[in-house]
Amino acid sequence: MSAPSKSRENILERVRAATKTVALPPAELAAACASIPRDYIRRGGMTVTACQERFIERLREYDAEVVETTEEELPATIAAQLAGSGKHTFVAPAGLPAAWQAEGFEWKLDGGLSAAEIEKAEGVVTAAFCGVADSGTIVLHHSATEGRRVITLLPDWHLCVVYASQVVETLPEYFDRCGQTPGLATYISGPSATADIEMTRIKGVHGPRFLHVVLVRDSGQ
Amino acid sequence: MSQGVYHPVLDPAKARPFPEAVLPVLRNPQLRKNVAHAIDVIQAKRGKLVVEKTDWQALRTAGAAIRTHALENLGAYLTQFEERCTAAGGVVHWAADAAEARQIILNLLREENASEVIKIKTMTSAEIQLNPFLEAAGVRTYETDLAEIILQLGEDEPSHIVVPALHVNRAQVREIFARRMGLKDLSDDPRELTNAARNYLRRKFLDIPTAISGANFLVAETGSVVVVESEGNGRMCLTLPRTMITLAGIEKVLPRFQDLEVMLQVLARSATGERMNPYTSIWTGVTPGDGPQKFHVVLLDNGRSSILAKKTERQTLKCIRCAACMNACPVYRQTGGHAYGSVYPGPIGAILTPQLMQMHHAQTLPFASSLCGACYEVCPVKINIPEVLLELRSQVVNQERREAGRLFDPMYLGLRIANLIFSRAWIFHTAQFLGRIGLGVFTRKDGWIHSLPSVGGKWTQTRDLRGLPKQTFHGWWAARAAKPSGEAK
Amino acid sequence: MRVSLFITCYNDTLFPETGRAVVKLLERLGVELEFHPRQTCCGQMHANTGFRAEAFSQAKRFVRLYQDTETVVIPSSSCVAMIRDQYPGLFAELGNEELRKQFAALLPRVFELSEFLVDRLKVKDVGAYFPHRVTYHASCHGVRALHLGDRPWKLMNKVRGMEQVPLANLDRCCGFGGTFSVKNAEVSSAMLAVKLQDIVATGAEFCTALDNSCLMHLGGAMHRQYAGMKTIHLAEILASTETSPAEGVA
Repeated sequence: MSAPSKSRENILERVRAATKTVALPPAELAAACASIPRDYIRRGGMTVTACQERFIERLREYDAEVVETTEEELPATIAAQLAGSGKHTFVAPAGLPAAWQAEGFEWKLDGGLSAAEIEKAEGVVTAAFCGVADSGTIVLHHSATEGRRVITLLPDWHLCVVYASQVVETLPEYFDRCGQTPGLATYISGPSATADIEMTRIKGVHGPRFLHVVLVRDSGQ
Repeated sequence: MSQGVYHPVLDPAKARPFPEAVLPVLRNPQLRKNVAHAIDVIQAKRGKLVVEKTDWQALRTAGAAIRTHALENLGAYLTQFEERCTAAGGVVHWAADAAEARQIILNLLREENASEVIKIKTMTSAEIQLNPFLEAAGVRTYETDLAEIILQLGEDEPSHIVVPALHVNRAQVREIFARRMGLKDLSDDPRELTNAARNYLRRKFLDIPTAISGANFLVAETGSVVVVESEGNGRMCLTLPRTMITLAGIEKVLPRFQDLEVMLQVLARSATGERMNPYTSIWTGVTPGDGPQKFHVVLLDNGRSSILAKKTERQTLKCIRCAACMNACPVYRQTGGHAYGSVYPGPIGAILTPQLMQMHHAQTLPFASSLCGACYEVCPVKINIPEVLLELRSQVVNQERREAGRLFDPMYLGLRIANLIFSRAWIFHTAQFLGRIGLGVFTRKDGWIHSLPSVGGKWTQTRDLRGLPKQTFHGWWAARAAKPSGEAK
Repeated sequence: MRVSLFITCYNDTLFPETGRAVVKLLERLGVELEFHPRQTCCGQMHANTGFRAEAFSQAKRFVRLYQDTETVVIPSSSCVAMIRDQYPGLFAELGNEELRKQFAALLPRVFELSEFLVDRLKVKDVGAYFPHRVTYHASCHGVRALHLGDRPWKLMNKVRGMEQVPLANLDRCCGFGGTFSVKNAEVSSAMLAVKLQDIVATGAEFCTALDNSCLMHLGGAMHRQYAGMKTIHLAEILASTETSPAEGVA
């Protein structure tokens, strides 16, 4: 790297001088941050059922296809979705359950596939970390079952399996679920879009234009 | 715009004063229509969502408190961010000013032997005028955000911080793409235009190994960077290249990861009228096997630490670049962004730009407001923009009044005289009397004034003024009190 | 109730009829009105144009003038906003402890006209009669600085004979902005043009508001353009009765 400049010291010096009368001693910082009043809605008031229905409703507003299924029926549902897509080659994250990799399709298991290889696939199937009903958001933390970021970016078709127990109502509830903060995260709320030309909303610019969500009615939260 | 008719200058050091800069814009029906239309769409969507979000005011309060706390303790949070980001494999650089930031970035690109770079939209890079600098140094820059492509290919400048090409209509976009992408049969259908951009960019995303981004937020607790977007070009640039360079103003810091629960809720609703933008990407340093394996953050001061030092002005730095203020601004609605002569236009630009210039330039911007307060009402982090505008106006006046030339400036003279007039009732009353006589010269038979000289002429350009009544209110009151009958005191 | 009227510098000079209407209205409601003969200006024009020292000298004068007054009523929301929003900063920066105390004691006793009627006199029906089509422009300071809310409507809804027509974008700034109207005259005029479109579209005879500053700007353009509409301060509507109609209105 280049030789260290004085700028770091100068900038921090200026910043500290600028906030001399208001900055807190390090020992008090965390407590002060924690005591910032948060009177906004943290937990939603919807029932579990209503919450899941809201999630589905929001996803459908984004033109995502949503199908519900049970844990037993999940592999069959996935297979049906894949069959209905008219596509043949799919990328799977390294940790995708084998049961989800339906027969009759070509599966590229991602153990470090190149972009060129991923481009040859027509779709991708992943799990998710969480779903936020209020905004119809799917949260990926890119674990083994969710996959590296590139595999949910390059293909045009994404099937995402979300368990009902993963669905929360509000965004703060998702943050409560985080526990360990994720190093990588992608929040997906609808397909990509632009309104840059005369505010006309065009969907599907970069990233998958087709999102299918399989909502699994598991044993609950 | 693209045809050389009107090339905006977004260098505050060179831009024309606001009252002059607006003139060609105000006479441009196309542009005024485009701007009003874009604003109306966003405002309508935002309006619905704000009503729906019953805790909207509580979110604003929390957002303001979080940002204030972050700024008041910026030193601690910046070092925490640096420590965590570095521990995760990122390299943090510090740039005191625009020139240093440009040089740091160029050096990093040279280390990578990069002759091309893809960019995610970042106003901060426009602030430091990065693209022309890199181009001159032999690095081709490719904007990947649709609006930025329109502007880059059209040799134009952004006029809004969220929808930078809102002043351009579809016919103009078609012309730019047809010419610069060589697509003769392109229609002006927005879908087709967007597809043209999508195709134009696909290979670039896959082939160019170096990318530059901005940051919506830097999270101190985790050392993470957050980028909020709609199109997916951000995800492309953040995932495919080998080397990632993120440029961010030092004020972008949030203390904790959890603080995003407030910021993300208010940002999308304010910026685009959505509950959540399509894609938000969060990454921390380098993740082996996933995304760029070389990651640099360039932290930019460029005048922010000076703003931080000032009690009233510090709140300027709370800004999360949502553009709600300019969407609500009745001035911006008529002028669009270019007239502000800065990449930061509208209400936030009116206070941020002159301050970034250490008050040496853009001194007309704090006056580019009727102080209606609509901006403060919508700001998700409660920046009291009118309060800062007034403070900056006072600073500009204090600078200017010392200039010899101002002695006979009609505005300065008039205000000094007015102050004298208001200091004593007898002077005030005398002035009213003399004023009535003086203005009587200009008063027509119908009792109205149609034309005045000097500063007054600025009023009568478009408005009549009713002539001063023969009797003032206080005169009427005194006469009434003097009457023997009636409610005398 | 003894109430002191601060007429404002521009009403005193340009719109004495508004002052006369305020007097007529308040006396009709049983208020004993005072008028301090030495009043001049609240300092808003200077404060808003960046002349803080000058604004402070006027603010000081205002506070001293009214320090012993029970209640001050002001028929101008922008002037009340100046006193509420800007005086604290001016006195903190340029004043002394004594002045700050005097101001703090005075502040709760200062009212904009509609606030005074609705909150202090607790009256909505002021006995007004104004048989005309009227549209209401919600001045920025009234809406966003004073949070007047529905007070104007509480009063307007009780005016007999008056037909109210809602104004589209009623709280969008008219473009006056004080010295902005001349320092940025062209932008001010553009905002005015757009505002006038909404106002004229109502088909009303009168546009009313709680601030003559806005009305001077709007009315000036209406007059220039032969727009077939006039402006009138809400005080004049509220003061108007069958036997004593508003001045200058047929």
